[in-house]
Amino acid sequence: MRKISPRLCVLLALAAGAFGFLPMAHAADALPQVRLNADKIAPRPIEELTGNNIVRDYSLAWQSLAEAMDQNRAELLDAYFTGFAKDRFSSTVADQKKNGLRTRYIDHGHNVQAFFYSPNGDAMQLRDTAQLEIQLFDGSKMIRQENVTLHYLVIMTPGADRWEVRSLEAVPNF
Amino acid sequence: MTRTFGFLGFMIAAVLLRGAQAADLQVPKQVVAGNAFSIPTSGSGEASFYLQGPGSASKRKVQLGNAIEVAEEETRDAGRYIATVCSSDGCNGADFFVTASGPAHLSFLVHPSRVPVATNDAITATAFVFDKFHNLVLQPVKVEFRVSLKDAPEVARAETTSNGVAWMSMNSSHKGGLAQVTASSGDILEKRVVQQVPSDACNLRIRAVRTGKFINVETDPVRDCSGNPVPDGTIVSITQVTDKGKTTVDTPIKRGVAKAQLPEAGNATISVASGVAIGNEVRVGGAQ
Repeated sequence: MRKISPRLCVLLALAAGAFGFLPMAHAADALPQVRLNADKIAPRPIEELTGNNIVRDYSLAWQSLAEAMDQNRAELLDAYFTGFAKDRFSSTVADQKKNGLRTRYIDHGHNVQAFFYSPNGDAMQLRDTAQLEIQLFDGSKMIRQENVTLHYLVIMTPGADRWEVRSLEAVPNF
Repeated sequence: MTRTFGFLGFMIAAVLLRGAQAADLQVPKQVVAGNAFSIPTSGSGEASFYLQGPGSASKRKVQLGNAIEVAEEETRDAGRYIATVCSSDGCNGADFFVTASGPAHLSFLVHPSRVPVATNDAITATAFVFDKFHNLVLQPVKVEFRVSLKDAPEVARAETTSNGVAWMSMNSSHKGGLAQVTASSGDILEKRVVQQVPSDACNLRIRAVRTGKFINVETDPVRDCSGNPVPDGTIVSITQVTDKGKTTVDTPIKRGVAKAQLPEAGNATISVASGVAIGNEVRVGGAQ
């Protein structure tokens, strides 16, 4: 039997990965894409570094929310949610767990407009237009699946080393 | 014959299933937080009702043909809800939004906690308006900010919230002391205190007196430009320049004045500074 060279093994593995033969990361694990526009922010301008941090932390917040709702693990919310937002999503996760439900978010990206940055830099408000695929499961049975564009009004506040989501409220429109 | 019975059987099954089918859900487009409502259903048979909201996820058995009662406790969190009814032949769902009820709480941020007097836009206040369920009230709400200080006229300013937030900035007054900053909306009132502290020293003046081998230097009472005494502990720098070089003594204000003892070294020029303020110069050894 002919042996396959190690180099060919690597190439095959890469090709398999590219064509999806290898187990892919779960959708909830992927970092959601966030595009930030802060052109009309007031009353305080946003520093470039702050803008980058907002993008990073808001994206990580959505990633952790998706994982928490899919795996029914409220502790995943600890890193990027605070205040009533954390309380509410934790409560949803607890209810899901109790009722044998779970929600899967497949995130297709967020167009975020930062429009309020408090004068002392202790709160920022964002408008997020999110493209999401939402799947509701009862046990292993999917009871609802939808592709939606949702509008979220967001309040983020700075924590020790990151921005945290303090309020994430879906609204009918802006 | 067999074919006819088969078709008949299919038709009967279809009619029976139709009886158990959940019709499209009729839900209100918007509900004010904490309000109950009913979702009418048609058909017959048992079904599962799911209600997924921003702070809850419930599941219960319902009887098709009867209205599904959504309790006020189930609609307390503002945001998007998904109602789904699943019967034996599938699921139907609809979404609706819950909006905040009237203002009930203010989240009030005031900065800084200590501020120098007579400084432009030094005090900023931001108020977030929430309903009794801690939902951000997105309808415009009037918020009145007031800053009051003992023996000084009150300053008031009204702002209207935009997306649940109102803010203002104002100058600190010329008088030191505790300023009370309040935000109110209707009968909701939140208070914060800002300590207005004297600003930098102003019109610094020193006197120098030779006493044997030393020169005793003392400031007049140190005050800011508004006449408020600069607090004890504030550092005043006293510098002596002679032919032999320069000597600087940093000394804290005690009981309103700063004092230093410098070595006598012939003709000298002594000056004083504190922070960004520079005071007078005196000459000793020759003519003052």
